[in-house]
Amino acid sequence: MSVATAGPDDRSAAPLRPASIWKARLIDRASLIIPCVMLVALLAVYGSMREGVFSLDELNLDTAAAMTLILAATGQTIVLLRGGIDLSIGGTISLGTVLAATRFGDDPLQAVLWAVLIVVLGGLVGLVNGVLITVLRLQPFLVTLATWSILSGTALLILPTDGGSLPGGWMRFGSASWLGLASSVWLLVLLIGFWLWFKRTRTGIAIRATGSNERSAFLSGVSPLRINIQTYALSGIFAALAALYLTTQTGAGSPTIGKDYILPSVAAAVIGGISLFGGRGGLIGTIIGAYILTIIGNLVFVLSISSYWQPIVSGIILLAAVLASSLAEKSARRSLT
Amino acid sequence: MTGLVAASAVTKRYGGITALSRADFSAEAGEVHALLGENGAGKSTFIQILAGVVRPDGGSITVGGEPYRPRNPQEGQAAGISAVFQELSLIPDLTVEENIWFRREPLSAARTVRTQAMRQATLDLFERHRFPPIRPEQEVRQLTLAERQVVEIAKALSRDPKILILDEATSALAPRETEWLLGLAQDLARAGTLVVYISHRLGEVRQIADRITVFRNGATVAAYRTGEVDDETIIADMLGRRMDRLYPERHPTATDRIALKVRGLSVDHRLADFDLDLKEGEVLGVAGLQGHGQRELFQALFGFGGAKGSIELWGKPKVISSPRQALSGRDGLALVPEDRRNHGLLLAKSVRENLTLSVISRFTRFGITDQKRERALVDDMIAALKIKAGSPEQAAGTLSGGNQQKVIFGKMLLTEARVLLLYDPTRGIDVGTKGEIFQLMRDLAAKGYAILFYSSDLAELVHVADRVAVLRNGRLAAILAGADNSERQILRAAMIETRAA
Repeated sequence: MSVATAGPDDRSAAPLRPASIWKARLIDRASLIIPCVMLVALLAVYGSMREGVFSLDELNLDTAAAMTLILAATGQTIVLLRGGIDLSIGGTISLGTVLAATRFGDDPLQAVLWAVLIVVLGGLVGLVNGVLITVLRLQPFLVTLATWSILSGTALLILPTDGGSLPGGWMRFGSASWLGLASSVWLLVLLIGFWLWFKRTRTGIAIRATGSNERSAFLSGVSPLRINIQTYALSGIFAALAALYLTTQTGAGSPTIGKDYILPSVAAAVIGGISLFGGRGGLIGTIIGAYILTIIGNLVFVLSISSYWQPIVSGIILLAAVLASSLAEKSARRSLT
Repeated sequence: MTGLVAASAVTKRYGGITALSRADFSAEAGEVHALLGENGAGKSTFIQILAGVVRPDGGSITVGGEPYRPRNPQEGQAAGISAVFQELSLIPDLTVEENIWFRREPLSAARTVRTQAMRQATLDLFERHRFPPIRPEQEVRQLTLAERQVVEIAKALSRDPKILILDEATSALAPRETEWLLGLAQDLARAGTLVVYISHRLGEVRQIADRITVFRNGATVAAYRTGEVDDETIIADMLGRRMDRLYPERHPTATDRIALKVRGLSVDHRLADFDLDLKEGEVLGVAGLQGHGQRELFQALFGFGGAKGSIELWGKPKVISSPRQALSGRDGLALVPEDRRNHGLLLAKSVRENLTLSVISRFTRFGITDQKRERALVDDMIAALKIKAGSPEQAAGTLSGGNQQKVIFGKMLLTEARVLLLYDPTRGIDVGTKGEIFQLMRDLAAKGYAILFYSSDLAELVHVADRVAVLRNGRLAAILAGADNSERQILRAAMIETRAA
């Protein structure tokens, strides 16, 4: 295909045949279609092994199980779109659960105040990450590895082992439901609403643009410091929200639990079609990726085999997703250049 | 009378290198003003200063009589100056419309982008300036280089600039789009815009520029009204004492030995049943309007998949299904690619590393590189091609465009392949280096190399190639040689049947 001035005689100006447009669109969306197909396949296997997989109850259960990962992966998705990575979410999640389990007390007002403080703390961690990455020109991987380590240590100082307690009212949120849908499903609806809004804002576009081509974005007036602070602060805030949600499920603080979400958050995003080079993908893919990882866990449970199979199967699925979308991209490049 | 833009004694140094020593420039509203000079003469630095991308060390600039000191491109745009640089500033994963209106998107009450309004504004812009057809909702990474260039122009025009700077904007365009852009520049000037036009193609400059300013070695050496100066004077100004001819003497050096024989080559529907005989010692030109199969031809020959047909190299049948196979050994092929910054060079690596990348195994034994031999070969190549680099260790990305292209030539020559595929090798390169590259091509042909040479500048094909194969709709339309090898005949062959259809 090529540029050409208007004119009925010009072959290259002729529109693509409908078939090839469809093919091009399909290939272009491959990174989202592939995880959808994987999820459907997994659900089919899961459904053939157990009764009632396709029910509201199962949706409520799976969403509650996946929600912490989905929240953590939302922040990670934003950072990956920017072309960075955030390991510090592990530290923020640990510290968040520890603070909640030790500071909430029995006074609802105090609990809410601390919940807000935890979210603000998450944002501040992200701000520090963004400033360090921009001002000192350090690799995001190294900066967030360091802040993860610092936050994890702090969590251990506050609460050396799993424990503490959360108010009963707080934990009721985790098991509450309205109109037959669990609180986690409503949270998911809110999250998707946030994403549909956020990706169409100037900030959302600028984050994706900076991940796609940093220099071009900066030349077009995007401020490097501002965009990095926004990106990592959002990631920190979502990590804090993940921590708060997690405590509604576990009812305790854990100074080491955060590390269980660092790499799975990246895996969920990548399975969902986010490019580690930035610029490509969206939250819907990440959510599907998180469900895939959760269903794998369910399958391992239903098959009553060793739970160590879960990371093995997750790894294979991750490889398959990456391989499939890279093949699709190659064939796209061939058919479109 | 002071012009719309008046710059005097503008200077800029990068470390120890003086990019601009004394640049003077004056231009008025409503004119097309050409800025000429070799690469490295300081044109790029000067327009980057005008656009606010680079800040000068000294001198003064006024725009509309007011002192002008932009600190960033946004302040330049606020003063009504938009630039289309050689290095494109588009974001591959955004759509055409998102790129054009990036950071200026129309917003709804919820602070989200109003896609429909943006689409309409894009279509209006395209229609107002009669843009070539491009779908606003398409992602830029799917566009060709030429289409991206057009989008870049749309982005600059969307700000309704008082001053539009076009830096080598036609270098990526085919003849038709070039004509469109030249017309557009004239229309804008007639409507009162100042168009600062940088091009290495004198013909284009003659066609549209009212005035010409010539830079050499970072200083302004001359300014003329276009009608009052001849090409020889301009070239003399640009080159200084060097008065080499642009096109080398052409002596037929082709033998009867067929170096590359292509039969029935087809790629999808874009290249159909293509036959070609390239002889030893011959420079065979390839011409065609943009998108008529020349890109597919070069890609197929270099092993990018999907091609059918047979290829013989030096009389032996050869299956080429990957660039690695194309490159193999003395009977292989070597390619100078279209997009040298992305596909030909590792910009962050040194000149030495770039030159020896594909032949490193030759000086490597048991995993250890013989640095002395590598160094000697690299020094020879730098001297032979007159590559202007501070040292072999200088990063390739910091060289001028012409010198980058010489590094790619060097890399190609070191592979020992004797069939060379050159895809628009002089695009965006200054006159002096162009001349050297043409001379090099003829010298190589005389040594028995066989060269397939596509250029978007027809004059180059006419003056450098022995014969020219013209493509039309993916088929061979004509092979022109001798007196028939003229711009007129090439264009006829490339266009005429299309018209009838």
